[in-house]
Amino acid sequence: MKKLIIAAGILVLTGVSCQKKLDVQPAQSIDEKDALKTNSGVLTALNGSYADLGNAALYGGDIFLYNDLLSDAGEIRWNGTYAGLTQIYNKAIPKNNAFVRDTWLQGYKVINDVNNVLSALTVVDASLKDRVEGEAKFIRGSVYFDLVRSFAKAWNDGSPSTNLGVPIVLTPTRSIGEDSKVARNKVSEVYDQVIKDLTEAEAKLPVTNGFYATKYSAAAMLARVYLQKADYTNAAAAANRVITSGKYTLASTFAGVFPASSSSAVPNTSEDIFAMQLTTTSGSNDYYTFYSPNSRGDIDIRPAHLALYETGDARKAFFVTSGGSTYTARHNSRYANVRIIRLAEMYLIRAEANFRLSTSVGDTPLNDLNKVRTRSALPALTSTELTLDRILKDRKLEFAFEGHSLNDIKRLQGTVGTLPWNSPKLILPIPDREIIANSNLVQNEGY
Amino acid sequence: MRKLKLLLLGLLCTCQFLWAQTQIKGKVTDSKDGSPLQGVTVSIKNTSLATTTGPDGSFSINASPNAILQFSSVGFQTLEVKAKDNLSVGLVQGDNSLSEVIVVGYGTKLKRELTGSVARVSAKELANTPVTSFENALQGRAAGVFIEQQNGKLGQGIKVRVRGSASVSAGNEPFYVVDGIPLITSDLSSNGATTSPLADINPNDIESVEILKDASASAIYGSRASNGVVLITTKKGKAGKTKIDFGFFTGQQDPTNTVEFLNAEEYVNYFRQGAKGAAKQDFKLGLYPTLQAAMTAESTFVESRLLRYSAGNTDYQTYKVNTNWQDLAFQDAPISQYDLNLSGGNDRTTFYMGGQFLDQKGIIARNSLKRYSGRINLENKVNNWLSVGINLSYVKTENKRVSNDNQFSTPLQIVALSPITPAIDPRTGLTSGALDPATNLPNTNYPVYYNPMLSVEGGMYNTFINRTLGNVFGNISIMKGLGFRTELGMDQLNQNEESYNGRVTKRSSGSTFGTGFNASNQVLSINTNNYFKYNTIIKSVHKVEATAGMSYQNYTNQSSSVSARDFPSDDFKKLASAATNTAYSSSETEYTFLGYFVRANYSLHDKYLLALSGRYDASSRFGKNSRWGFFPAVSAGWILSSEDFLSEVDWLSFLKIKASWGETGNAEIGNFASRGLFSGDASYGGNPGTHPTQIPNPDLKWETTASSDIGLEFSLFKNRVSVEADYYIRKTSDLLLNVPVPGTSGFSTQLRNIGNLENTGYELTLNTTNISGRKFKWTSNVNFSVNKNKVTNLGGQTVGTLNVAKEGEALGVFWAREFAGADPATGDALYYKNTLLANGKLDRSTTNDYNQAVDVVIGNPNPDFIYGFRNDFIYSNFELDVLLQGVQGNEIFAAGGQYMTASGSNGFDNQTRDQLNAWKNPGDITNVPEARLFYPNGVNNSSRYIYDGSYLRVKALTISYTLPSSITSKLKIDRAKFYVRGQNLFTITNYPLWDPEVNADYSATNIVQGRDFYSVPQARTIVFGVNIGL
Repeated sequence: MKKLIIAAGILVLTGVSCQKKLDVQPAQSIDEKDALKTNSGVLTALNGSYADLGNAALYGGDIFLYNDLLSDAGEIRWNGTYAGLTQIYNKAIPKNNAFVRDTWLQGYKVINDVNNVLSALTVVDASLKDRVEGEAKFIRGSVYFDLVRSFAKAWNDGSPSTNLGVPIVLTPTRSIGEDSKVARNKVSEVYDQVIKDLTEAEAKLPVTNGFYATKYSAAAMLARVYLQKADYTNAAAAANRVITSGKYTLASTFAGVFPASSSSAVPNTSEDIFAMQLTTTSGSNDYYTFYSPNSRGDIDIRPAHLALYETGDARKAFFVTSGGSTYTARHNSRYANVRIIRLAEMYLIRAEANFRLSTSVGDTPLNDLNKVRTRSALPALTSTELTLDRILKDRKLEFAFEGHSLNDIKRLQGTVGTLPWNSPKLILPIPDREIIANSNLVQNEGY
Repeated sequence: MRKLKLLLLGLLCTCQFLWAQTQIKGKVTDSKDGSPLQGVTVSIKNTSLATTTGPDGSFSINASPNAILQFSSVGFQTLEVKAKDNLSVGLVQGDNSLSEVIVVGYGTKLKRELTGSVARVSAKELANTPVTSFENALQGRAAGVFIEQQNGKLGQGIKVRVRGSASVSAGNEPFYVVDGIPLITSDLSSNGATTSPLADINPNDIESVEILKDASASAIYGSRASNGVVLITTKKGKAGKTKIDFGFFTGQQDPTNTVEFLNAEEYVNYFRQGAKGAAKQDFKLGLYPTLQAAMTAESTFVESRLLRYSAGNTDYQTYKVNTNWQDLAFQDAPISQYDLNLSGGNDRTTFYMGGQFLDQKGIIARNSLKRYSGRINLENKVNNWLSVGINLSYVKTENKRVSNDNQFSTPLQIVALSPITPAIDPRTGLTSGALDPATNLPNTNYPVYYNPMLSVEGGMYNTFINRTLGNVFGNISIMKGLGFRTELGMDQLNQNEESYNGRVTKRSSGSTFGTGFNASNQVLSINTNNYFKYNTIIKSVHKVEATAGMSYQNYTNQSSSVSARDFPSDDFKKLASAATNTAYSSSETEYTFLGYFVRANYSLHDKYLLALSGRYDASSRFGKNSRWGFFPAVSAGWILSSEDFLSEVDWLSFLKIKASWGETGNAEIGNFASRGLFSGDASYGGNPGTHPTQIPNPDLKWETTASSDIGLEFSLFKNRVSVEADYYIRKTSDLLLNVPVPGTSGFSTQLRNIGNLENTGYELTLNTTNISGRKFKWTSNVNFSVNKNKVTNLGGQTVGTLNVAKEGEALGVFWAREFAGADPATGDALYYKNTLLANGKLDRSTTNDYNQAVDVVIGNPNPDFIYGFRNDFIYSNFELDVLLQGVQGNEIFAAGGQYMTASGSNGFDNQTRDQLNAWKNPGDITNVPEARLFYPNGVNNSSRYIYDGSYLRVKALTISYTLPSSITSKLKIDRAKFYVRGQNLFTITNYPLWDPEVNADYSATNIVQGRDFYSVPQARTIVFGVNIGL
């Protein structure tokens, strides 16, 4: 009997004492209920939003790379092995393209990140509240702008108030239900949201903010939005606000725009208005990944592109060759920040808008264009030489391989080879997985 | 009246049994040669009294004069003899499997009385198999158990499916238990390809492997039993003379198959053709004003590239260099294994000691594995009511690994390199692709891809494992028939991964001055089992056995990793010398399981069998609301051959029918899957960050599988033919499913209990003794299993791409466009539209627009059936043992086809030779679309890359010779055996690439199966060996 008691005792005691061990807490994560309770909790969540924004699929470069690949008709040659990018380069994108899927998912991940931040502003210290709200709205506005440009018809393609844009979600997701199956808003509604977010961001953000978004990051993004809408008055005004702030100056040489370092992170230049930060341990730069011969070197530059530059243009010299192929030298630094907006763009936006409006907000179009040209060792143009085409050509060359070309072609109603600017093939498909998961979404034309 | 007589007789017997016992002495020998047999179980029928024979075969037992003695020993036919003194018994060798003792959860059971479904593989079948991990040795040996090794890299992940896949998102691997200790099976690899933690077990330490297949057998493991339970029992000592066994084998391994690629001349001509194809597209897209201009531009381009890949000279024009890169990826691969075992003991203490050294090179360059293992199993009878013991093993494994299948640095991706590229660059005298780090010369884009041989030269990825697995236990005999066992076990696994990529690997590592990586995992699993065992026989006819107790497991894993770069020279490989950190992490995770279990077996008249079991289980992985689950099982059997009406049927030796039903669970999900989480892995610009990573599901609970099984066992002609047949239905509900949710929510999936799937199947095992002569003996074993898997409900979702989980289909079916060959007019790849027409029929017209066609099921990675066929021939001292193993009816998606069978679409990757049949001129009828350099022509996912994956292979063939005792006695040794053994000797298959036993290691999941992506083929191994017993 004693033995039985001992045995039963072992069993019962072990069972009872182990019962307590069923409550185990995670070590690398915290419960969502606890994440946004404090000022510092919201601040780290805001910083995490930037990290997600800088993911390779989004501002880490891919969404811009798609533009370069889709807009090309013989100036570059994609010879990489990522089938998803080959499909994009060939303007034959299956609906299940994994790159497109990841960009869509990442876009909305960031939007949910900042919606979380915005939902918790009440716990943020009063002195920081405006900045936090401004940064979150800058991120949200920027992402919606790039999503609507990538996944929907261009602003100038038919009627933006009837064309389908992307779904607008402005509250953080706490659970998944039928209401998670959001429908696509109209293109104009998305642009309205973008302008609202960026305008509020500009109002709330401080003039300096380290490498984070500033008042002028928001203004610069707004200038870009207005230019895309052909709202030249507002575009010129927004660009002017950035330029006249005096916070930014052009790099003295074109090469100075892309400071090189193969082994360590490089801070923003005086020209950078907003750039995604890389350190040796965080951030992605897929421009480097795909353009640089030091990395995959998947994109050769063809002679047709090189022939576009004028003799003596410093930008013409900014290429490297290896094994008979030519590569751009703009993305040769492994830990370079991903440049999102730099001051030269503001000069060229102001120049173009002023030229089209025959105004001189801030300065004359000629002066603005020449600022950019002379920086690249080109002779200044005279007023008689100044045409819209000259401005647009310099814009193309100044921002080649920086993700602008497709949206300029759409805005200017050009062509991509035999494809017209409004070809459905130049619009990304809504990812298949999204259509399957959300019956309220309508697929784009041609997919 | 008859019953009354029986009862009286029984009573009388019992009385005699109680009052009139005498001591019976005797000796047991092998009837073949009269040698004494040690360790034979001598029991008195219908009682629990038993003893075992000593080293000289002698025994003594107290029995009544009329009692029936049963003599049983593994490998011998059970014999029943009426008790008398000075008994001399000769046992006949045979495979009377019904007398086998089968290990079940928390106990053992006679196979005869088993009502569940358990497959057993014994030490003899596992012994001396020249493989790294013991699951490999099980392949083809157990019905209902499908085993597939991902590829031929050493220690890589192995898929084991017991009666099909029961889950879509949670684990599908069985639950492994070694001597009562749950085994750590988490994959700890950091290089994107899984490793098998089971490779840390010395297969020669294993006495038997029992696979619990149905719920009746496995439900006692409750929430972790849905995928079957594999019980591994290690060898124990037996009282008697100490036996010393020495084993050694050595041999060579080589790939089962190689693939043919274009040679230099074919390559050059193919890509010139591809340039023409591309020019036509250029022109069509408006890139050039005239076709001629496009032709000129493309031709210039292709020649410039051929020049580059020909090391910058024009040798390619004369096809002077013709490198067979594939040959370089493989290496000489010797394998040797050394074993030394001792076992023995006395009536108080028994022991087994085993030591092994395995020294194996992989068939793929840079891959090798060394494993040192030692084990001691010890048991001591403290007194008449207590025995204690320890099972303890220590293993040290060093696995020198290669990159996962999806890396340029993995050796087999070398086949993408051009045959016109010399292995040694004549410009530098170095391996092609080696650069001057300062100048990047000759150039960073030569050869066409990073040459993986540079990673063989200048890179390493070594995994070191120290693992201690063991338990201490005590058995208390409380009273007659009632015992208690307490066990405290641990599995401690410390793994360190160390990698260095030197200067020559720059194009792959991205760093001029080398990169290094170090990761460590400290995993500790502690468990305890405490349970009562009770058995009694009431009135000689009611046999009752019961087990009840508790089990607890706590698992913790603390891990850390650091990546760094910039080393002073390649002589400095430790991170201490690195200039820059590039990544660092440390993390910790934990889970616990607590369960209470009970099992009762009842047997009436040794004919009618009933078993009940249940487990009440809890885990930290589930939310508080649904933390506990109950998993019951019931089974029954009827031994018809013991019935009077069949006792006259001479040819029928045994007949049993059985049926079982039960519920088991699956808890193999993330440790914190039910919670809404913010993770701290979102630093930005050097500042910390958090972000939402998981949407909560407070209702998350077990996945439940209800299994029904009916079975039949019979043997004929004095057990010369024995058959086991089972039919089962396994229905899984509340599937733990990563359900795709609208990405607009900020999340892509949520883990939910949605959906159902089912597996139905049957299994047949046939054992025959075809010839049983004095000198010649021939036995056969056939096992055959059919499993049909069907996902019945996923809430309308389709999960995955290419391999999908889809309602109405088997898990992981290939879901893509149906390829329709090349358009005879244009050379465009065509697809069947397969859209629905207005009349409800499928539109079978073709299109060259991929987006115009829709996905259909184009294949199934799950086999229709699997089988094994073993024949064992013994002639005198020679033995020939042949195991054929086959898999039938599955398809493989050759994902690498998008690069190597790709119409030049991906550029200058060397192509498989079938691409020579590409469309060239209008009117050509071919399945291979026109070659178009850098223009995708039919390379999107489609049935173009689907192949039949059926195969039949000579899995194992052993010829052995045992020295006759006349010689061994002169040599003063017990036994000596010499053998030659072949593994994967020969494979019959239509699969055109390397090996049909494949699943690309970087992508393998529950759903993603049957993909081949530059996967290393399986090894064909031939070894010579010797076993000597002292």
